[in-house]
Amino acid sequence: MVRMFRSEWLKLRKSVIWLLAVVSPLLAALVGILSILDDAEIIGGSPWLYALSMMAALHAMLFLPLLTGVYAALVCRYEHAGGGWKQLLSLPVSRSQVYLVKFAFIMLLLAITQLLFLAALLGIGLSLGFPGPIPWKEIIVACLGGWIACLPLAALQLAVSTAWSSFAAPLAVNVIFTLPNMLVANSAEYAPYYPWVQPMLAMMPRDEMSFGAFNVSPVTLFAVIGGSFLLFLASGWTYFSKKAV
Amino acid sequence: MNNWILQTEGLTKKLGGKAVVNDLNLKMEKGDIYGFLGPNGAGKTTTIRMLLGLAKPTQGRIRIFGKDMQKERMAVLRKVGSLVEYPSYYGHLNAIENLEAVRRLLGVPKSRIDEVLSVVRLTKDAKRPVKGYSLGMKQRLGIATALLGQPELLVLDEPTNGLDPAGILEIRELIKSLPREQGVTILISSHLLSEIEQMATRVGIITKGRMIFQDSIDTLRERAQSKIRIGVSDPEAAWKQLLAGGYQADWDRRKLTIDRAPNETVAAMIASLVKHNFSVYRVEEEGASLEDIFLDLTGGEGSL
Repeated sequence: MVRMFRSEWLKLRKSVIWLLAVVSPLLAALVGILSILDDAEIIGGSPWLYALSMMAALHAMLFLPLLTGVYAALVCRYEHAGGGWKQLLSLPVSRSQVYLVKFAFIMLLLAITQLLFLAALLGIGLSLGFPGPIPWKEIIVACLGGWIACLPLAALQLAVSTAWSSFAAPLAVNVIFTLPNMLVANSAEYAPYYPWVQPMLAMMPRDEMSFGAFNVSPVTLFAVIGGSFLLFLASGWTYFSKKAV
Repeated sequence: MNNWILQTEGLTKKLGGKAVVNDLNLKMEKGDIYGFLGPNGAGKTTTIRMLLGLAKPTQGRIRIFGKDMQKERMAVLRKVGSLVEYPSYYGHLNAIENLEAVRRLLGVPKSRIDEVLSVVRLTKDAKRPVKGYSLGMKQRLGIATALLGQPELLVLDEPTNGLDPAGILEIRELIKSLPREQGVTILISSHLLSEIEQMATRVGIITKGRMIFQDSIDTLRERAQSKIRIGVSDPEAAWKQLLAGGYQADWDRRKLTIDRAPNETVAAMIASLVKHNFSVYRVEEEGASLEDIFLDLTGGEGSL
């Protein structure tokens, strides 16, 4: 397992993947700065939470689900190109290991993205001199929750990416399902079950948003996330173990 | 137990109800260069994928090093190196990094990388990204990857596919040198008999999923018995004349041939033709090439 991880690391180390992880937090930071400067006077509550909700709106609604798909496609990319699955799976490695390590890498990349987002938020707050103590609890919960909410989506996208021997097709699917996020988020009925919108639901500070699915209790949300994650991971994993290469 | 290094028993793979590989009994001995021959689409790659555990057989068993492939897949694969169809590589990495990615999985010492690079003579280009390699170099890197784990069995699927003549020659020389220098047994598939003929010690010919010939290359060559062709005026009448005289002769509406026979018999046949006023233009020996046999065995489907 460790060997597998180190081998996978070697392949990803020199790829463009790292640039992508930086893009979303940077854009989110830009939005954060602009909205703060714009609405500086209207803020009633903590500017920290306001900045967090503004940044999370863009980051979690759009970029985080998109990146999840991109990472899933990227970790499979080198195997899709030029019969790499055949080479990899005819080595003495177990398919389960291959699959789980790929999944771990997606989650690792997402964790890095979330850390960068956190850094961007702190950077803005400190450089603009937000008053009051940093609301660590809310910020950490948002970042961690967003990451956990990516689990089912990552499992789903990895399944699609391994099943579909193409780099672009799984991405296209992901984009198509990510775009309606804003609409889906308004529906308390469907949103908790929609994997693409879950990161957003989990990342938005609850006091700031009180419409549609944001009223769904976190317990329900995370129960759905946990359940669907297990379902997607198990089906993708089973499929991959039996797949003829 | 016998000493087959690889053996399949009734290996069958059905895809959509159609048997792509049908009741295949493939046998390889240690030290063989086994030429696995067949026209495109005969089931070679499907067979090889099953041998490597990439696809599951519908029926039948595979034993490699005397171990059941299904049950002891990991133990078997540790001692098998393979190159299936196209070489697989990570284009953004150089040759050393490509090998390192596989080496980490195999857990062999780092020194193996330099060793296999020198075997395939890529040491000089080892630090360039692989995407800039020629097809021949990529193919050599593929073989280097296959050799990395010091395999006892090397499985190469169409290793000369798409190479230019110089590249083919290069790969062929490399493959021929391997059993000698690395002590491996090799299974090599191809749709080109001329390719296999120059490397293999043992040949299996497959067509439409069935093995139609499996023996040493020499046995295959023995089938290439020569015939004697007679160029003559009015060959059909000449053929009837020869038959009437009690000789063996064949007329296929294009040429008149007789089976190999002692000199005296041939002389007597010619004399009888001359006596009956046929003009004899040519008497020539005609060796049936292996290609002819291959075409004959595969029912004329083989690509040349």
